[in-house]
Amino acid sequence: MNGWILAATVALGGGGAAALWGVTTGPPARRVIAQNLTTSAFCPALLLLAQGYGRPAYVDLALLLALLGPVGTLVFARLLSDDLSAQDASAWGLTWTAAVLGAAAVVALCVAVGPGRAMVKLLVIGVLLIGGNVIASRALAGGFRGVRGG
Amino acid sequence: MTRRTAPRAVLLATGELLAWWAALALLWLVLITSVDTLERIVGASCAALGAILARLGRRAVTWR
Repeated sequence: MNGWILAATVALGGGGAAALWGVTTGPPARRVIAQNLTTSAFCPALLLLAQGYGRPAYVDLALLLALLGPVGTLVFARLLSDDLSAQDASAWGLTWTAAVLGAAAVVALCVAVGPGRAMVKLLVIGVLLIGGNVIASRALAGGFRGVRGG
Repeated sequence: MTRRTAPRAVLLATGELLAWWAALALLWLVLITSVDTLERIVGASCAALGAILARLGRRAVTWR
């Protein structure tokens, strides 16, 4: 057990428990927001675990999650658009908190790995994670309702 | 009789494909673990295919 694995455990345990609670209780808008935020909790945790175990290849899991998580949320936003437009499905405080936590994890990992291709990969994952999450949150909040075909 | 494409359109298309190819090849090189000749060849090929698909996708959503 080192600091990285401890931080990952906190992210997985705390974020995972909060997300599970959100997904299993309350109205659909709250559940889909919690489902969206699971990506923000698990992706930094996977990055921290890869660093903690010294296995850079595990970073690919976080990359896949950062890529596919927001895409899944966009599918939910499309399918549940009738339910979501009736309720207020915006959670900007939680979204930006998750974004700041993800950015903090990525910056700490960048400092640990030092300059190089691994650092660029981490930054790409961070941009995908935060950008994807903000776009998915905006889609849930109805921000793209006026977009053609959206 | 075949219709001639304007040279300007050909240049623009080539430029766009090259830009996509460069971006995708760079992304490939960043995301792989070890850089060697085989990875460079596979990455360049995948980036070429991806550049064609990216241009097709871009044209499909902008429909000029």
